[in-house]
Amino acid sequence: MATALVSSASGLIAMLHEPHPALKLHALTNINTFVDIFWHEISTDITSLESLYEDDSFDQRPLAALVVSKVFYHLGEPNESLLYALRAQSLFDVSEDSEYTHTLLAKAIDEYASLRTRAAESNASTVTVDPRLEAIVERMLEKCIVDGKYQQALGIALECRRLDKLEESIMRSDNVMGMLTYCMSISQTFVNQRKYRHEVLKILVKIYQSLPSPDYLSISQCLMFLDDPGTVASMLEILLKGDKDANLLGYQVAFDLYENERQPFLLKVRDHLPEARVLTPLEVPEGATNSSQDPENVMEHTPASMEIAEDGNQPSEVQTVGHHGNAVDNEEARKYAEKLAKLKKILTGETPIHLTLQFLYGHNRSDILILKTIKQSVELRNSVCHSATIYANALMHAGTTVDTFLRENLDWLSRATNWAKFSATAGLGVIHRGHLQQGRSLMAPYLPQNGATSGGSPYSEGGALYALGLIHANHGEGIKQFLIESLKNTNNEVIQHGACLGLGLAALGTADEEIYDDIKGVVYTDSAVAGEAAGISMGLLMVGTKSDKAEEMLTYAHDTNHEKITRGLALGIALTVYGREEDADTLIEQMTRDQNPILRYGGMYALALAYRGTANNKAIRRLLHFAVSDVSDDVRRTAVLALGFVLYSEPEQTPRIVSLLSESYNAHVRYGAALAVGISCAGTGLPEAISLLEPLTSDVVDFVRQGALIAMAMVLIQTTEAREPRVGSFRRQLEKIILDKHEDTMSKMGAILATGILDAGGRNVTIALQSRTKHDRITAVIGMAVFSQFWYWYPLIYFVSLSFSPTAFIGLNHDLNMPKFTFLSEAKSSMFGYPPPTAPPVAASAIKLPTAVLSTSARAKARAKKESDMKHATEKSILEESSQPTTHTNGAIRASKAGKEERKDDDAMQVDSPAEKKTEVEHPSGELLHNPARVVPAQEKYIKFLDGSRYVPLKTAPSGFVMLKDLEPSEPEVLVSSDAPASSAPGSTSSGQAVQSNMVAEEEPQPPQPFEYVA
Amino acid sequence: MDSKIAQTQALFEKFKGAYAKKDFETSCTLLSQLKVKLTEFQSLPPLFRQTSTAVAELQLARSIFEHAVVLSIMTEDQEAFERHFLQLKPYYSDTRSVIPPSAEEYPILGLNLLRLLVQNRIAEFHTELELLSPATLENPCIKYAVELEQSFMEGAYNRVLSARQSVPHETYEYFMDLLAKTVRDEIAGCSEKVYDYLSLSDAKKMLMFSTDQELLTYAEEEHPDWEISKGCIYFQRAKETVHREIPSLPLINQTLGYARELERIV
Repeated sequence: MATALVSSASGLIAMLHEPHPALKLHALTNINTFVDIFWHEISTDITSLESLYEDDSFDQRPLAALVVSKVFYHLGEPNESLLYALRAQSLFDVSEDSEYTHTLLAKAIDEYASLRTRAAESNASTVTVDPRLEAIVERMLEKCIVDGKYQQALGIALECRRLDKLEESIMRSDNVMGMLTYCMSISQTFVNQRKYRHEVLKILVKIYQSLPSPDYLSISQCLMFLDDPGTVASMLEILLKGDKDANLLGYQVAFDLYENERQPFLLKVRDHLPEARVLTPLEVPEGATNSSQDPENVMEHTPASMEIAEDGNQPSEVQTVGHHGNAVDNEEARKYAEKLAKLKKILTGETPIHLTLQFLYGHNRSDILILKTIKQSVELRNSVCHSATIYANALMHAGTTVDTFLRENLDWLSRATNWAKFSATAGLGVIHRGHLQQGRSLMAPYLPQNGATSGGSPYSEGGALYALGLIHANHGEGIKQFLIESLKNTNNEVIQHGACLGLGLAALGTADEEIYDDIKGVVYTDSAVAGEAAGISMGLLMVGTKSDKAEEMLTYAHDTNHEKITRGLALGIALTVYGREEDADTLIEQMTRDQNPILRYGGMYALALAYRGTANNKAIRRLLHFAVSDVSDDVRRTAVLALGFVLYSEPEQTPRIVSLLSESYNAHVRYGAALAVGISCAGTGLPEAISLLEPLTSDVVDFVRQGALIAMAMVLIQTTEAREPRVGSFRRQLEKIILDKHEDTMSKMGAILATGILDAGGRNVTIALQSRTKHDRITAVIGMAVFSQFWYWYPLIYFVSLSFSPTAFIGLNHDLNMPKFTFLSEAKSSMFGYPPPTAPPVAASAIKLPTAVLSTSARAKARAKKESDMKHATEKSILEESSQPTTHTNGAIRASKAGKEERKDDDAMQVDSPAEKKTEVEHPSGELLHNPARVVPAQEKYIKFLDGSRYVPLKTAPSGFVMLKDLEPSEPEVLVSSDAPASSAPGSTSSGQAVQSNMVAEEEPQPPQPFEYVA
Repeated sequence: MDSKIAQTQALFEKFKGAYAKKDFETSCTLLSQLKVKLTEFQSLPPLFRQTSTAVAELQLARSIFEHAVVLSIMTEDQEAFERHFLQLKPYYSDTRSVIPPSAEEYPILGLNLLRLLVQNRIAEFHTELELLSPATLENPCIKYAVELEQSFMEGAYNRVLSARQSVPHETYEYFMDLLAKTVRDEIAGCSEKVYDYLSLSDAKKMLMFSTDQELLTYAEEEHPDWEISKGCIYFQRAKETVHREIPSLPLINQTLGYARELERIV
């Protein structure tokens, strides 16, 4: 029998109008079945369906509602559709697998979420949520959980602000830990309301703690965001009292906390920890041997011991026990105190900074030849390029303590006068960044002598104070007092300038009232130079506090006649609202509506910093609005630039968003676009970002070129040619610009700075505005924000060094020493290795000679020299490894590793082989790295820890500080020999000489002997 | 199932009896019962279940609806006509392959066309027409309706009215009566547009009324806005013409706004 197909629903619709209810019902049921096909016919008659729903005498009203809902859905009226779906009550089946159901569910959840959000924001129950809507959402959640789609359930619950359901979805899932991590990450990325995020975090902490084996690492992160130092401290205490593994975990927690760089919080945690209260004669020397390199360790213990000694009336329990001679308890207490001391040193940053310094020093691979080339090509009279070279040197050696270049070229350096002198001196601070113990003595020759006006120029004195700030940035406990005194003791505005900047850096975010008042005094002297620095400094001091001091600053910014002071204050105000998101809106509104363009400019920074890394749509919209509508070029430039800050958590988005702006007719907007990409995509090597910046590096306007070059360097930092071939061409472009006599100063300066940034920190740092746990690094972001001010004031360039983050894996054992530990990087070494050192200038400038022979021999010499110098260093370059004559069987890897290098440096190999005696088993699928090792962020996913090695890392992320668990504690540990620069203060003349000579030798080969060219 | 058909069949016979006796009231109640019975048959549209009794069911149902359509003409109930026709239509269009065509199909289709014409739903009229095959168009019942529509559109109203004499089917007469009124409305509508006023006698002639009284009643009922005085009908044309002003000021503002925005963009 042939089949019949329905061609129209008109018959059914007609039947709806039949007076008999049975017929209506029949028609309705059939319509419901066919509505997806004939909705267009039904839609013309929707009113009759609606009236059917409203007809009280009709007993199938929900069915009518369901049909109406479906028709509205097809008509593209989701609101109406949802309304009727709700009226359909239980007939609306959430588990139905149809497009209609999916769409409506999504709509329902959206609607519910927005209602809940509104209700939460208005803090009142004025917004009543339809219980039917709530029922649908709850049904949906239940279904998700039952189906095992926990992440979906969690997401919905989070969006709908149903914390009860959130908890339920986590607890009922089969992978509670995974869910918690997931929840943690989405609460950071998708919840754009601080208050609500805190609530979520509180729940998370609660769940974490209720677990049988709490994940202390995650809890501590949550607590940090909740700003709850007390709980963190007590947690750490518990861990310290536990067994060895627990202790390790405690240290790891401390390191992780440290990495987020919240100085005030860390200090509070430290203060919450109990004092190391035990008094034994053994204690002091024990502490000292523990870390023999820093005398301050002893210092730290002494006051504690003294306190106890004086505190005779209430001797602690431990002490009493100790007096009674219970050796075991005493021993335990002593150990505990020791551990506590270690923990505190991690929290204050002392240990991590020391280790970082050690790493950067030991692994320094900066290429002084590049600097030499720059130095030679820069005209002596051109002071801008001269100081740019000094900046570049400082950045290249940031944190490495290698100041050879400066020491070698004192004569050349002395051409820096006035402010150039200021920045030259301050540059030392960048180079010695983190050199906490020796910082002061290093800078001593330049520092102002107390009271008396010393022989030094105020510029170098001011610069030295600024340098001290840079050295102690964010860890200024020790130096604060000195800086305050220096500030008080001077009336010279240059010194004040330096002292203010230094103080701001050292006391970053501490909100210290006393310091604030001192700096305020400087502002009120109404000196333009000092006032600008003071304005910024006030902001640094009050970072993220949203203190009402901002009002005060704003008032003065209006009163003063000096643009510089206004600008400094504007930036300072912006800094105070760092990370406050919607809390900052009133202030931002006030600033962005101001008559004064400088304050509007500050408003842009406020937007940037308040919404840093949130990718908040509202903020982006406002910035884009200002970028195209403001009358002042400065404001427009900053608005575009600020986009970079808002978007740094999603670097892929930035090139897309600013791509139009980068083609603007307005050069300022183009400049802003370049820097925005530079800031948000820093260190990513993102191809889109490079493609966007490339045309800008040859823009018609000089300052755009400058910005683009700097931004490009920021994007390409630590990117190898193997990963992104455009790095090579960029380096060549920089060289060309620097060498070109006709290039104008602006872009030349940009190129010099870019060179510095590209090889920053001895090629061992990247620019990271986010920590490894994807949280914002407050110092880095602020450093970057102040850095972007260099448009007005070059010395602020040094702030970029705050955003440098060493790309290191530093494994530590129980005693916080580095044991020998090997792990694997499953990638070609050329992917993530150091760029090859540049050829010496002889080769570059050889005139039409067959240079091949000369260059290799020169290289070979260079290599040989380097080898002999670095024999003591444990780290070995890949190149050297590849040239070992050990395993020729592994042809494939060897070929991939050595590649062209091997071919090129044939004779270099011969020199190398005897130098490098240690044999190392080649791993078949990559290269072996040795603790501490350079691991660039992109490399992390290739890192594998080897099975069967003695140590097991405590956390999976292969970067930063990682505690290693010793599986064979009975065996003696082999430690990595420390090559700390700190042990023999290089600042002091005698011992400094040794270090220096050491470094000099490393740096440049002798030019080849004079020769005669015989054809 | 068979018993159900038999029952319905019996009921249908009863209905036909009442229908033949022109007892419309009884027929209507019986029809209503019949329709409820029909809902129980699975093979009917829109489900088209292929049951063993499908053919019988379909034929029975079709017959019932055909009678229902005619009945609604008898009772002069246009709404019911439409309803029943629409329910009947699937039997013509969708079941062609299952059951043999009905003798009543073309007259009823033609009736429907006529109805649309009467109700002045010209668009739907043509839609229906499009659904018919060219051969069908040759059928006298359909052709009649099509020709009527053509005359109607041309404005040859006299031909429309004279066509009443040549109806192909007795049921068509009802609609032809109604059509006269539709034509009159159409003329009245045109007159409103064309004339400022018309004398009563002219209007009478034009609107095909035999007495003034009829004309006045019509004017009163259908067009209360007509003003009748001094032996003339005044169509208040002035009232309809609304002066359309160009909103110059807002337009200027808008254009300026665009210009400004354009300048700002990038």
